[in-house]
Amino acid sequence: MRTFSGRRSVLPKCNGVLSGCNGILLEGRKIKRTGFFPAFFGGGILAAAVPIVNMAVRSEMYLGLQGTAIQILMDANWQMMAMLNVLLVVSGACLLYHVEHADGGLQKMRSLPIREGSVFFGKVAVMMLMCVLVLAMEAASVSFCSWHWFKGQAGGGQWRGEGGNMFAIELCKSFGYAFLLILPCVVLSFLIAEACKNMWVSLGIGVVCVFTATMLPTSSFVLSLFPFAMPFQVFAGMEAAWVTRFACAAVVEIVVLGGVERLVVRGKGAFE
Amino acid sequence: MNFLPLLGVEFQKIRRSGIFIILFASTVILWIPSIVNSESNFYMQAEGVSPEHNFFIQGFMAMSWFMFPASMVVGTVLVSQTERMNKGILKMLALPVGTVRLCLAKFVVLLVLSAAQVLMMTGMYYIGAAICSVTRDYDFILPPLFVMGKISILFLSAIPMLSFFWMLSVCIQTPIFSIGIGLASIVPSVLVINTKIWFAYPMSYSFFVIVAEYGKLATNLDTAQVEFVPWIPVAVVISMTCLCVSCLCFGRAERR
Repeated sequence: MRTFSGRRSVLPKCNGVLSGCNGILLEGRKIKRTGFFPAFFGGGILAAAVPIVNMAVRSEMYLGLQGTAIQILMDANWQMMAMLNVLLVVSGACLLYHVEHADGGLQKMRSLPIREGSVFFGKVAVMMLMCVLVLAMEAASVSFCSWHWFKGQAGGGQWRGEGGNMFAIELCKSFGYAFLLILPCVVLSFLIAEACKNMWVSLGIGVVCVFTATMLPTSSFVLSLFPFAMPFQVFAGMEAAWVTRFACAAVVEIVVLGGVERLVVRGKGAFE
Repeated sequence: MNFLPLLGVEFQKIRRSGIFIILFASTVILWIPSIVNSESNFYMQAEGVSPEHNFFIQGFMAMSWFMFPASMVVGTVLVSQTERMNKGILKMLALPVGTVRLCLAKFVVLLVLSAAQVLMMTGMYYIGAAICSVTRDYDFILPPLFVMGKISILFLSAIPMLSFFWMLSVCIQTPIFSIGIGLASIVPSVLVINTKIWFAYPMSYSFFVIVAEYGKLATNLDTAQVEFVPWIPVAVVISMTCLCVSCLCFGRAERR
């Protein structure tokens, strides 16, 4: 994989893990000057600020409530945080494909000895990393809130001993679950962005999908499986059976959408 | 080149963009849940609002909080990106047309897009209300004059927000920042309308006026009402500032 000068080759070969890693590196290089990282960083800060500002302004509304600190904080703030996450994912996906569609970049990529699917999955992998970053910032903010405001209460703000372990486990579970449920949304946004050549079309469809997700009734299980509605689910306080159902549904959606992507690539290759 | 022909040119540019399909799809999606759940309009005694008013205002509230501002962000992306593609903007700047005039023509396109969405929303409202009137055997259709009054308030209150979004897309060359800031600024408007300084935040205007209208229609609800004195001057200052800044910045990056 290395050229004679010792630099890593820009053209990855079509084999296995190395190709996958190179795909991610390549995508990482493409977005260097697009403002993608700062945008996600800023979005993460904004989403992380939501619970802190909410608690700073009206902590008396939440302090007396039943449940663990994470549960209260997530119930109070997750809708808004998830909305910011989903909007970040949608606009990020539009941008990542905009750099390809503009000036026929995707066609040039097609003439290189790489599989076209690796471009897609490279972008998804980059977005997953960004999601981990954003969710980690949000988790840090939630743990700060529970340490600062829920110190004396059960399940909040104990860093050492049994309580601390419980808190850490619940936090990891909550945000791990949030990460799993945002993945179908990531894959679908990229699918839309790949299929539509113009950025406003993909952004428009994405925004309409987010709007649909906010309009769907939360009582219906089938309707809440819409990929853009999944990230709004909260782990804390949810019954174990429902957690499993949503997790299975997320995995199935990722696999199905990945399959659809292969078909789209084949179809586009046949027509262009 | 006079302003009107220039406007005609700008409209020709977005003719095949498909933006109207997106705007239309959002209005259809808006009214479907309202039609399906139209029965719930009869159980609003606690708020003291009549079923036909509730049907109307709930739909417009859902629209003005997220979809209306978000589609305007999409509109700004459309208007600015169609010309950045294939360097179309450079060709326009080479013509004997004033940049300020060009910038304002594009802003008028944006205004027309928002008016089109409000009108589509109203059209779909009448279709939805007609369907519900038949299925529920109750007259949901409100008089056109009443509806016209409300939608003109909605449209007028969105102008400062549009000028802010337009300034973002003109001044910030990196598309992700203008889109990201635009979309992210919509989300806190739910919180802002509950504060005393809502008039300083143009993205919350349209949602605020619709919520205030809801408060007027529902006798038992006490929502904050529109106070014109700090609002109108502040809104005018914000829109004029945003428009001036965007006119000054327009085409600056390309001319360098």
